[in-house]
Amino acid sequence: MCPVRLWNGKRAWLVTRHEDIRAVLSDDARFSGAMANPDFPAITPARVMVDRNERAFVGMDNPAHDAYRRLFTREFSVRRMQALAPAIAAIAEGLLDDLEQSGPPADLVPALAVKFPSLVMSALFGSPYEDHEFIIRCAVARHGLTQSAADAGTKARELAAYVRRLIDAKEADPGDDMVSRIIEEHVKPGRLSRDDFAEIGAMILRAGHDTTTNMIGMGTLLLLQNGEMRRRLAADPALIEGAVDELLRYVSPVQFSPRRVALEDVEIGGVTIPKGEGLFMLLASANRDQAMFARPDTLDAGRDASRHLAFGYGIHQCLGQMLARVELRIVFETILRRLPGLRLAVPLEEIRFKHDMQIYGVHNLPVAW
Amino acid sequence: MIRIYIDEQKCIGAGHCVRSAPDVFDQREDDGIVVLLTGEAPDEQAPRLKKAVELCPAQAIRIETTE
Repeated sequence: MCPVRLWNGKRAWLVTRHEDIRAVLSDDARFSGAMANPDFPAITPARVMVDRNERAFVGMDNPAHDAYRRLFTREFSVRRMQALAPAIAAIAEGLLDDLEQSGPPADLVPALAVKFPSLVMSALFGSPYEDHEFIIRCAVARHGLTQSAADAGTKARELAAYVRRLIDAKEADPGDDMVSRIIEEHVKPGRLSRDDFAEIGAMILRAGHDTTTNMIGMGTLLLLQNGEMRRRLAADPALIEGAVDELLRYVSPVQFSPRRVALEDVEIGGVTIPKGEGLFMLLASANRDQAMFARPDTLDAGRDASRHLAFGYGIHQCLGQMLARVELRIVFETILRRLPGLRLAVPLEEIRFKHDMQIYGVHNLPVAW
Repeated sequence: MIRIYIDEQKCIGAGHCVRSAPDVFDQREDDGIVVLLTGEAPDEQAPRLKKAVELCPAQAIRIETTE
């Protein structure tokens, strides 16, 4: 537990240990995740604007959170995601075909890390693929650390308005996609308003585009830097599923989130958090907590890393995590199988890391093979 | 034997239990909430069931060892 002073002069707490983060995130009675709460802590003024504009259940406490989330849970169930695996694998193979025809060299970030989850989200959600650059701009305006508050607010409204128009289009001309299914199952019977669906849809699109992308970039870089792990996974692809959790543990792309505000004075990790003060969960720190993971700074393909907190914990744990796991397993398996000679095409110093974002990753990954 | 209890009200459909022990847990087709395929399991299943309990982000699963 580490007290910090925020940009606005408020005191907040960094929660760094695995055990303490689980305790905070499972104590909904004493810690609120309501982003509308004026005491809700924010890392930048732009993030305050994002929080004020948040209408989806990511920013709600129970019982509202669960009521909304349950309308969408089946879309991300384990069996549903397993059933999508062949279609997702076909997308990965197609992108590797493109890479082989156009390269080497290539920048793996635009060529694969961005395109792959964008194509998967397009097929699953029903948003036209050509809109992915707009969706990513909206996600970056939320996840950046350097954007203006005005831009963050505008992009939040623009993305919700985009999904609202997509809902109208799918209502007129349904397809085999999430938007069309949710309209039939929940909007038409009156369980979910079109405006609420637009806000939730914006949340799903942002999360689906900008998180998996960063794990693909960072994960591939780590495999290139760790020859032993790479050889082990290439020789035994059955290990890749577990290795995805280990890579998630090691990278922990989501920074400065989840956040909570104390609803009363609460003792946690040996200190008392006064009512009204904010807390930032440092998931990357929890995932290197040696009380939970032996040799935490070692990347180990054979480790059971499933207790990592990269997707958060508690009622807000990532809705799309089973999709992300399937995407990551398939994309790493495909890369290892199809590009056995993959290597960095530039010195490591030329890789630009995302120190300017709340979701960690790489801006570029020039490779050859 | 191990008795398995679930709390549908707490469940958020994260799916860790289905991943840990697919022959014990499933998710309802209509809303993704946990379904018990069996209320008890032999003792040798304990590691997988303990993992399901520990990974559940909503703490919706409880197990008890019985005679």
